[in-house]
Amino acid sequence: MKIQLESVSFTYPGGVEALRDIDLFIKSGDAVAFIGENGAGKSTLAKQLNGLLKPSYGRVFVGDWQTSNRSVAQMAGRVGFVFQNPDEQLFARSVREEVAFGPRNLGREEYTISEDVEMALKQVGLDRAINRHPYDLPTPERKLLTIAAILAMRTPVVILDEPTMGQDAQGIARIGRIVSDLKAEGRTVITISHDIDFCAEHFPRVIVLSSGRIVADGVPSEVYYQESMLENAGVIPPQIARLSINLGLPSGALTDQEFIQIYKEHR
Amino acid sequence: MSAAFSLYQSRDSGLHRLNPLTKMTIALSGVATSLIVSGVWGNYLLFLLILVPLSAWGQITYSFLRAVFRVVWPFAISIFLIQGLFWTDGTPVIDLGPLSFKAEGLLFAVISVGRILLLVGSFTLMTMSTRPDALMIALNQRGLPHTLSYVVLSAIQIVPMFQAKANKIVEAQQSRGLETSGNLLKRVRALLPLVEPLLLGSILDIEERAIALEARGFGRRVKPTSLLILKDPVWEKILRWAIVALVLALLAVRIWLW
Ligand SMILES: Nc1ncnc2c1ncn2[C@@H]1O[C@H](COP(=O)(O)OP(=O)(O)OP(=O)(O)O)[C@@H](O)[C@H]1O
Ligand SMILES: [Mg+2]
Repeated sequence: MKIQLESVSFTYPGGVEALRDIDLFIKSGDAVAFIGENGAGKSTLAKQLNGLLKPSYGRVFVGDWQTSNRSVAQMAGRVGFVFQNPDEQLFARSVREEVAFGPRNLGREEYTISEDVEMALKQVGLDRAINRHPYDLPTPERKLLTIAAILAMRTPVVILDEPTMGQDAQGIARIGRIVSDLKAEGRTVITISHDIDFCAEHFPRVIVLSSGRIVADGVPSEVYYQESMLENAGVIPPQIARLSINLGLPSGALTDQEFIQIYKEHR
Repeated sequence: MSAAFSLYQSRDSGLHRLNPLTKMTIALSGVATSLIVSGVWGNYLLFLLILVPLSAWGQITYSFLRAVFRVVWPFAISIFLIQGLFWTDGTPVIDLGPLSFKAEGLLFAVISVGRILLLVGSFTLMTMSTRPDALMIALNQRGLPHTLSYVVLSAIQIVPMFQAKANKIVEAQQSRGLETSGNLLKRVRALLPLVEPLLLGSILDIEERAIALEARGFGRRVKPTSLLILKDPVWEKILRWAIVALVLALLAVRIWLW
């Protein structure tokens, strides 16, 4: 499902101008990473996409819906939003109930719900925890549970706020696989992350935010090599990009393989 | 960060510069007065003639009024509905089909809401114009043990902390399709399941905060050095005693008139 922002500005009630004149088009099935330093406006932008915040100026469309004409609960049928802190999202007495909550709100049939719940839990590797209490799970698994709770809603758009935070290598790999699955299904995936390597690996489109503005938008092999722009935006490029730049190699490598190949060619 | 955890509004005003004890005296006397005053409009008048001008002096009138009304209106509505409609043997003044608002019930509601208004207003004014740590230090300087002033401070901070957390929880659930608009009953029913994570989460927060404080040496039996120097001029001491005397006088008059 496509997403479109037309000259969107947003000011918080306290007076902070968090978004300034954002124009953005995300095509259906795109995988986009929002990066930028603390306070750049990433979360504010993401909340515009599911209607939690409505633009002070400009318009936001998700598919053919304009967010300012829809309730957040309505938007939830199109945009799934996994928040950063699991403790502010989990409330049910069992993992099963937790995951079933979203699909139920969307008015799905009970039998499809239990299928969706099992499928989502399997996808995040929590299928064996289905009867446990969410608060008995360790934090990284609680985070995975919040992801499952959104996956079960089968929304055409999925937003993940800091999905890899607090995860070990295995957890990060698992979340990477989930993102790949979502992409394969043709769903639109958006992440907000300070984990630049994770973004570089899984998101073919990167948008850099700085003080509420989009300062770069493109493919990782270009964006991550724009040293001075990234520095101004307070972002440290992925290690491989830094290494390539310091070695004077041509830009573009993001994986070990690509780096080795370019290194061999130009040595 | 601190903004999310306290109602405190930083301004450079006379009210802000008052010694925290003076503001606490004002707050406590406001609470006492709200209970003593018996007239129908007395508490409203005190709110308008004392608290609102004080908030203007503190340059926080708008946020002060907003915060007070946010807390008071749910009480006000429920008191008006319950007392107004279900007052037994009252004189009907407004007919609503099978039910009717009774004059006595409405009068009682007006008085009760006045009390709540003054009570909430007094505390909100203090909280908004006093840095939480300043109040804690002022209390310690008067010999209140550290742990106790920590309890006082936590109690004051817990409301805004709760609010911030409740907000996030509701946002997260709305994003999963929870419909929170509609009639009051529907909303209450929708929000009920969210109480548990709110309490659980807040307890975790408080516990974490306590551990963090302990790890930084809180609770050791030495007199801590304070970075904040609080002024307490003679006129403020006199003012405090004057306020206390006034409240006592009011109480005396009230008892005498009874
Ligand atoms: N509820 C709020 N009320 C007022 N200002 C806010 C609120 N939330 C965020 N802001 C401000 O808006 C700006 C953008 O914040 P936002 O949370 O979108 O940044 P972010 O890029 O997500 O940062 P982070 O990486 O720290 O999550 C910041 O200046 C922030 O202080
Ligand atoms: Mg954020």
